[in-house]
Amino acid sequence: YRDNTRLVFIDTDFRTLRLRANDSSGREHVLTVKLKTKHPTEAPECAADVPVPLVFHWTPQTTLAQLHSQFLQLVESLREFWDVLDEIDQKTWVLEPEKPCRSDAMRRIAIGNNASIKVEVDPRHPKMLPECCLLGADFVFFLVFLCRNPECSVLLNLRDVLEIQFPSPATHEKSSLSVECGICYSFRLDSGIPDQVCNDPRCGQPFHQDCLYQWLRALPSTRQSFNTIFGECPYCSKPITVKMAVQK
Amino acid sequence: MQRISRLKRELQMLSTEPPPGITCWQTEDNVNELRAQIVGGSGTPYESGIFSLEIKIPERYPFEPPNIRFITPIYHPNIDNCGRICLDALKLPPKGAWKPSLNISTVLTSIQLLMAEPNPDDPLMADISSEFKYNKQLFSEKAKKWTLEHAVHKSKVITPHCTAARVSRSTLASEANTHTHPVA
Repeated sequence: YRDNTRLVFIDTDFRTLRLRANDSSGREHVLTVKLKTKHPTEAPECAADVPVPLVFHWTPQTTLAQLHSQFLQLVESLREFWDVLDEIDQKTWVLEPEKPCRSDAMRRIAIGNNASIKVEVDPRHPKMLPECCLLGADFVFFLVFLCRNPECSVLLNLRDVLEIQFPSPATHEKSSLSVECGICYSFRLDSGIPDQVCNDPRCGQPFHQDCLYQWLRALPSTRQSFNTIFGECPYCSKPITVKMAVQK
Repeated sequence: MQRISRLKRELQMLSTEPPPGITCWQTEDNVNELRAQIVGGSGTPYESGIFSLEIKIPERYPFEPPNIRFITPIYHPNIDNCGRICLDALKLPPKGAWKPSLNISTVLTSIQLLMAEPNPDDPLMADISSEFKYNKQLFSEKAKKWTLEHAVHKSKVITPHCTAARVSRSTLASEANTHTHPVA
């Protein structure tokens, strides 16, 4: 196991090891292996930054080299998934997550004009129709991919289906896309971003869910039905709704 | 939480792009308090005066309006002798019209507008209001006199008889005693 290219770390107790595996796109992945007291009878505890549960085949005869090759197989099977996401990360402005890790399958991509698209890529079928949700003025929840080409990447398909050019780091400043909340004047509030948008296209003012909820619930004119609050946009006074804040 | 990020941005905007005729800054000793100055509009009785205001930022800001009052005495139908201002943007609905889309800058601009255009139908000072309605010349003269006395020479000390005169006329006389104008 003293292969330098595979073993990147071992602690002084020889209990925790980190094994490296590179996928064929050149991305480096690390598997942390913690050997149990009853090793090798008991399977070691494994952790890695991958979007799927780590399931390895282990018997008392299994070597760490075999474990490593299982991990290599796993990251290779996820290569296409990471290719799809890397393309999105490089060519668009990703609003969420702030710093995506290899296990994050979701991306919220800026479209411009306060609109964004939330894409959830299936790690096992990265080129299949991703789960999409459009956020922003005069958009509604929809999941339509009629003319998609299975040969193309997710980003190219999104571009073709929506007939839009995604603003990219090459063409736009991020500040022009990360539009601040109309109530607290900030973009990131407690790790949340302004994902509530006034549906009037002339307004389109974004708000944090918590900010909008806190404002509307204090007003006597606000109505509530189940967990939805009905009120007026503080900017244009057109009807606006917000889900009640989740109890923390 | 919202309050901190709001104030930070607002102070930044107020220093980089203040509204015309208005300055606003944070006081050194209290982060919840701001000071502002409004220059009296030309063609109004407040011309050439500089009016100081005190702004208190409530705990729930921007879900609640800022608390603003004049420090400089001003003769105006909608501003009482404690400096309190009758303006719907400074009150929460249903009575008022405060919304978080307003901010310190827009509210100060509304006050500047109110100075130029008093609203005698929603008076705080009944006497001044009827004077404004029925004897505008007298109102104008008095307002100019007050401006000259209190807002032009900043070093001028408010004379006791002047305060007394206002207090006796005031409908809020009892409170006036505890809210004397701290004019330097």
